[in-house]
Amino acid sequence: MPVKDLSPSLERRKLVTKPFSKADKVFYGITKAASGMAVAIVGLILVFLFASSWPALQAQGIDFITGSTWDSSQDPGVFQLGPMIWGSFLIAFNGVFLAVPMAISIAYLIVFMLSSRMAKIATVLIDLLASTPSIVIGLWGFIVFAPIAAHWAELLNRFLGFLPFFKVETENFLGSPFIAGWITAVMIVPIIASVTREIFSQMDRDLINAGLALGGGRASTFFRIILPTSGGGIVGGTLLGFGRALGETVAILFVLNIVFDYNWFNVTKPEGGSVASMILSKFGEAGPAEIEALLASGLVLFVITLLVNWLAAFIVDKAQPWRK
Amino acid sequence: MEKVISLSPVARPAKAEPWKTSSQSRIWQVIFASVAPALLTLGITLAFQIEPPVALLVVFLPIQIISAGALGLKEFGKRGFADAALIVAAVFFATLVLVLLLSVLWSVISFGSKALSLSFISQNNVYISATTSLEYGGIGHALLGTLLIVSLTTVATIPLGLGIAVFLTETRSKARNAIRVLIQAMSGLPSVVAGLFIYSALIVSGVTGYSGLAGSLALLPLMLPTVARIAEEALRLVPAELRNGALALGAPAYRAFFQVTLPAAKSGIITALILGIARIVGETAPLILTASTTNGTTLNMFGAMPSLPYYIYEFLGNGFDTSTQRAWGAALVILILVGILFTIARVLTRKKKPKAKKRKK
Repeated sequence: MPVKDLSPSLERRKLVTKPFSKADKVFYGITKAASGMAVAIVGLILVFLFASSWPALQAQGIDFITGSTWDSSQDPGVFQLGPMIWGSFLIAFNGVFLAVPMAISIAYLIVFMLSSRMAKIATVLIDLLASTPSIVIGLWGFIVFAPIAAHWAELLNRFLGFLPFFKVETENFLGSPFIAGWITAVMIVPIIASVTREIFSQMDRDLINAGLALGGGRASTFFRIILPTSGGGIVGGTLLGFGRALGETVAILFVLNIVFDYNWFNVTKPEGGSVASMILSKFGEAGPAEIEALLASGLVLFVITLLVNWLAAFIVDKAQPWRK
Repeated sequence: MEKVISLSPVARPAKAEPWKTSSQSRIWQVIFASVAPALLTLGITLAFQIEPPVALLVVFLPIQIISAGALGLKEFGKRGFADAALIVAAVFFATLVLVLLLSVLWSVISFGSKALSLSFISQNNVYISATTSLEYGGIGHALLGTLLIVSLTTVATIPLGLGIAVFLTETRSKARNAIRVLIQAMSGLPSVVAGLFIYSALIVSGVTGYSGLAGSLALLPLMLPTVARIAEEALRLVPAELRNGALALGAPAYRAFFQVTLPAAKSGIITALILGIARIVGETAPLILTASTTNGTTLNMFGAMPSLPYYIYEFLGNGFDTSTQRAWGAALVILILVGILFTIARVLTRKKKPKAKKRKK
């Protein structure tokens, strides 16, 4: 006898939840409008910066991004941003290079080593560093830290001067991308550390316990289990820090000697560039044409940081599937 | 805070005495792994006249790793060496950050407290030049300006930030992920770009001149992501049962939110606001580009408005001793403001522990 098909002939009903009362529609409408405003702000920034810097972009052409002259005394003025863009990247690379080991160590200490009371204190300290304004860091960097870091740069030059990164002909070590990199590192350590800590503390405990049960120690657990599983999140957090370092303005302005000449990799050479700091330093005395060029620089900076941050946010979001 | 997981190998030492908190051998371990390298480094540094930073990196760190590694090797075998090296590296880098942080705090407090006085906080900058003695003039005008600008930004950010947080947690819209990523990306908006945006939108186009209003609008895109993100976390922490309970009792969604979810997440949302304020209170670049400064005290939001970060920027640029001291003083005031906000946020987010009943004697 054939088995009778007992499954219900009706398809499973799809559940939909939609606001039905008028008040709810208004409520959800307001939240939607607020989110729309966030999109609108980003859009408006692009539109306004683009519109008001269009004449400068048109006049300079592609050389605006690649050239290395900034001269407002000529007529028409020549405004080319190249060394500043590369300088921003060089400083940010420097900052990330210094900040990543510190941030991962702190996150590791907080999640896996310290007692819960010490971990709480360490978290508070890191949050405190995160909310220290950049002008205060800049003040400290300019007066207290720059002379110390200049001395470090001098030592690097003396002992490792045969490497092209640390070769300096002059006697001056202040105002180099090395010092600016340290300052940005201080500012982005808390950002990378908090993302990494979040990822570490949400890790699957069973994986770690399984590793320990198989006879793994601290080091093998870290390198074979913790790093591979949380790698994506760490990369995302690092990119977030990188984006922040690209946009750092006042703190770098005080400690960097801004020169419109490509400094490709010589970090201890007292010449460097930073788009954001350059904008601020030129803004006070700029004429109308130069202001347009500065607005265009702002647009370039915004597009770069938006891309970096978007990528970072995307990676961090993907690395935290439990947030869905 | 999650519970700490121990990563130490599970192997039980041969002479375990669990009832003793610190055994004799443990003390020797500490001496061997940290005190001895420190003394050795000190000796080598003094003997060869090496500079302290070099000695720390080239002498102390290797000796520390080797001695800790040797100890690990003795206790746990080969893997103990790698474990010890990892611990030493982690502690070294974390200490480096701690030293940098303490250096920032200590220099602001020690330099700033020299400038700080009642007249410094209350007076304004009229007739004050870079070399005027510290007895005259102060940051009163800038403090007032900062408070005005920041409170206007806060008032404008509350509905926006809260609206976004609600959108991300209470609705099931498909755009949520995109908005979340956008907010995250927005949190990295360079402050100078925010300033240029308002400059090109309001000042170039002639809507308003340099003004406190423009300044607070320029701070808005910087504060918004912080508030939205932390408020979202706070709302997410409210148990779904509470919300669903209200809905099941027949409450419309807006009443369920305002009468159940919002009160439950109250402290978290206030924390979001406070951390947002702490984020913008020291922002300098946008205010330089949009708010400018004045020497006198002003309440007019439609005119140029002084602020604390601008004050630091201005006096640090002068390069005289007294003007630098003024900058330190203003930096200390900003840091105190941030510290106060931060403490309030901490107190609010602290989990309330059920009070232990006092036992009657």
